Amino acid sequence: MATLLFEIGTEELPSWYVAQGRRALIALAGERLREARLEHGEVSAFATPRRLTLRVDEVAETRERRRERRRGPSTGVAFDASGAPTKAAIGFARGQGVSPGALVVDETDRGAYVFADIETGGEPTSELLPDLLAGLVRDLPAPRKMRWGDVEVPFVRPVAWLLARFGDLDVPVSVAGVDAGGTTRGHRFMAPGEIEVRDIDGYVAQLRDAFVLVDPVERREATVRAITEAAETEGLGPVWDEALLDEIVDLVEWPTAIVGRFDARYLALPDEVLATVMIHHQRFVPLRGPGGAIADRFIGVSNTAVDDPSTVRSGYEAVLDGRLYDARFFWDADRGKTLAQHAWGLSGIAFQKDLGSMADKVTRVREAAPRLAGALGASEESREILEHALPIFRADLATEMVVELPELEGVMARAYAEAEGVPRPVARALEDGVRPVAPGGPLPAAEAGAILAACDRADKLLGFFALGKRPSGSADPYGLRRDAGALARIAAAHDWSLPLREVLATAASGYEGGPVAIDAGVLDATTRFVWDRVASLLAEEGIGVKTVRAATAGEPSVASAARRAHLLRALAAGDAFPELLTLYKRAANLAEKAPEGVAPDPDRFEAPQEAPLHAALPAAREGVEALLQSAHDQLPAWELGSGPAAPPKPGEGLRRVLALKDPLDRFLDDVLVMVDDPAVRANRLALLRETRDVLRELGALEELGGEA
Amino acid sequence: MLFQDVILTLDRFWADQGCLLATPHDSEVGAGTFYPTTFLRSLGPEPWRVAGIAPSRRPTDGRYGDNPYRFQYFYQYQVVLKPSPSDVQDVYLGSLAALGIDATAHDLRFVEDNWESPTLGAWGLGWEVWMDGMEITQFTYFQQVGGQDCRPVSVELTYGLERIAMYLQGVEHGFDIEVAPGVTMRELRRDFEVQHCRYNFEASDPELQRLLFDKYEAEARRLIHDGLIHPGYDFVLKASHAFNLLDARGVLSQTERQGYVQRVRRLAEATASAYLAARSQLADEAA
Repeated sequence: MATLLFEIGTEELPSWYVAQGRRALIALAGERLREARLEHGEVSAFATPRRLTLRVDEVAETRERRRERRRGPSTGVAFDASGAPTKAAIGFARGQGVSPGALVVDETDRGAYVFADIETGGEPTSELLPDLLAGLVRDLPAPRKMRWGDVEVPFVRPVAWLLARFGDLDVPVSVAGVDAGGTTRGHRFMAPGEIEVRDIDGYVAQLRDAFVLVDPVERREATVRAITEAAETEGLGPVWDEALLDEIVDLVEWPTAIVGRFDARYLALPDEVLATVMIHHQRFVPLRGPGGAIADRFIGVSNTAVDDPSTVRSGYEAVLDGRLYDARFFWDADRGKTLAQHAWGLSGIAFQKDLGSMADKVTRVREAAPRLAGALGASEESREILEHALPIFRADLATEMVVELPELEGVMARAYAEAEGVPRPVARALEDGVRPVAPGGPLPAAEAGAILAACDRADKLLGFFALGKRPSGSADPYGLRRDAGALARIAAAHDWSLPLREVLATAASGYEGGPVAIDAGVLDATTRFVWDRVASLLAEEGIGVKTVRAATAGEPSVASAARRAHLLRALAAGDAFPELLTLYKRAANLAEKAPEGVAPDPDRFEAPQEAPLHAALPAAREGVEALLQSAHDQLPAWELGSGPAAPPKPGEGLRRVLALKDPLDRFLDDVLVMVDDPAVRANRLALLRETRDVLRELGALEELGGEA
Repeated sequence: MLFQDVILTLDRFWADQGCLLATPHDSEVGAGTFYPTTFLRSLGPEPWRVAGIAPSRRPTDGRYGDNPYRFQYFYQYQVVLKPSPSDVQDVYLGSLAALGIDATAHDLRFVEDNWESPTLGAWGLGWEVWMDGMEITQFTYFQQVGGQDCRPVSVELTYGLERIAMYLQGVEHGFDIEVAPGVTMRELRRDFEVQHCRYNFEASDPELQRLLFDKYEAEARRLIHDGLIHPGYDFVLKASHAFNLLDARGVLSQTERQGYVQRVRRLAEATASAYLAARSQLADEAA
């Protein structure tokens, strides 16, 4: 057994591919080693912007041996009349590497065939590796590959060198126009030139000496440490942005923090603008003062530890100054118009070609949002905010700042609205209305903004579904899953009691004048799609798929479905749950046969067991309501996906529900339901149906059983 | 180092690398990529090495000379190497060294930048080269040009000359660059810049530009169709500049803008395929 090390040296990889490529390399190598029947230990990998390195421990020296019996032609074809092997048999034998005399005959279901018994495997690993490793370079998955020169093998960026070592052997890999050698390269500037890798276990340390932190975990720690220490020397705190940190770590091999300053007059720009300009354009880490406001300083992470940082610092400062200058230019230019004036520009911004422009979209939201406010019973204050916010909703899309820095949408609406004297709650609603910006991002804080955001997302979902543009499989080119997830989270967090289907139906009113028709089929499909997102958010809270199905039955609101799901899970953890399920199953067994919408008539009761069951129903219903109420009381609205603070304790309601057992058992054991008299039969079925319906308020319990 | 010495140094450096030194094309272009010596020559199989200064105009980038880095008229230094050599990054870094830039004293980085020119039907993968956070060069492996796959692949290096010169001279505004002894960029370009900004943003006649665009487009089509590819391509460049002027004037809605981009792109694609067809006919005749 020996260790395998394979470094693919590249021209600088995109930062987002460094981590992805490392994972892909581990997965692909594992797959190829398995296919090649090479036994091995742990598969791991390192990655920097200039290299992806695979390490496999304890690789067997030879391919695993295996005995196989391979089928050849049928005996009719394999032997001539004299019983001598035909050309077909001789050819088969040669192909399998055995002599024709070694072929054996065996009976199969389809007649007699010749077979070759062969032993495969045992080839030296060192002979298999050149092809196997070249295949890793050829086939490493990446969203986008490129070509260079006249090399025929595409890769993410040009392959610059290859290092392939198996134990003490250099493996002669040749692919993508490069022949492997036994050398790696250090930092591009601080340790130029080739470095002989002495032994595989020393690879990481040898590169560290050459100013390359090849282990991404170590490099991340070093980056965080460098930023933290640099911020501390300034008495400031870094603004930690995980995406930025990921990017910085994979933009460097040797992280070195350098603090810079910018002109304090730019502090007049909103904090979000300052932070976004620093992060988006320059990958600088913004710094905050003790009061939380953005300070006039930042940290740049250099890839090179220079002797005199003043040159780098003044470069960072100059370029940031140019960027902030532009931001200031946009800020001043945009404020030359009101948001109402910017809103005119929305007609020039396409939403979707069959659904019109952004102006068309906002017009639909303008129609739908007041209706949703009405259906939700929104406060008078929220309705007033909506009235003022709707004419300028998403108008910031047409401002230069948002055109330049799209991630500032919403933030700029608020900032420009405040700057022109729009009341703060209205300004906040404009920002809330595009939230959540990222899948896990903050939700609209206030009711009016939540209504705007819900209408906006629903408009998109309904429109795209009406056009038949639904996601299929893992493909979701329009990001509809994100919109559905956002809608579900908003409805849950704001504890809307309006059924989800009604939320969507109300939002659909924006489409009454076209351009597409939202029929019941579209509405159903869209509703189901959002429920799927609810299910996956609840799955993150540990709720099983059957429980979700039980809890979402009967078109509830998102909030009540989520509570029911947690209630059912809590009930399922209790000893009495099987009893509840049995109760439900017994009642539900015949209930489907009952005529719709007919209540049992006590005057038609004939058997003595009927009236007691009927009389027990109100108490059971109170029990069910008590359970639901206790879940409601114990579970204040929460962020879907993160789970409630604590699971609900169901309380004594269940006991009252289970009190149905005796009267129900007696009724079912002693009374024949399916009697000949149609009136009596219908009445008994109606009694069972009502019993089932009382229990079904807890959810579609038929979905459960066997799952918590 | 004087601005003109930057140019001379790069000329010398790339000439030594076997590049033909090309003179600027005499038509307004948004970038050196539009030059026939880049756009047309990156098509087809023939090896090609060219370098030279490429003055460019981007009307929307004008800031009346107020922004130290942004101008509507600026100088690129354009290098195209076909096929892209395997040591091109090192050679490029050598050109910085020739300019006196010590890589160990700076934060030099190759940061992913996927370049795309919607109007040229061209895209490529590569980097922005950052020096101390400032983009000084666009480094692109062309994958497609004029809608045609590039085989072999050319690499295009586009130096932002003003930025590099500002750095080398330690000045904070592009106008403060010393071009020749005692002559600054301000003297050479300030009035030109401010007046063109006024023209681009305030004074250009949008109706005229729309009309010109239509005429240029029709003329380009006619010429390309008749096999007059080089004159036809000149009209593609003129159409592209008319579109840039309309864009700067702020008179195009997003959808309208998209429409113009498509129209220029179709012209560029027609040029590319006519050029390749003519070249392969030449090759056939020679064979």
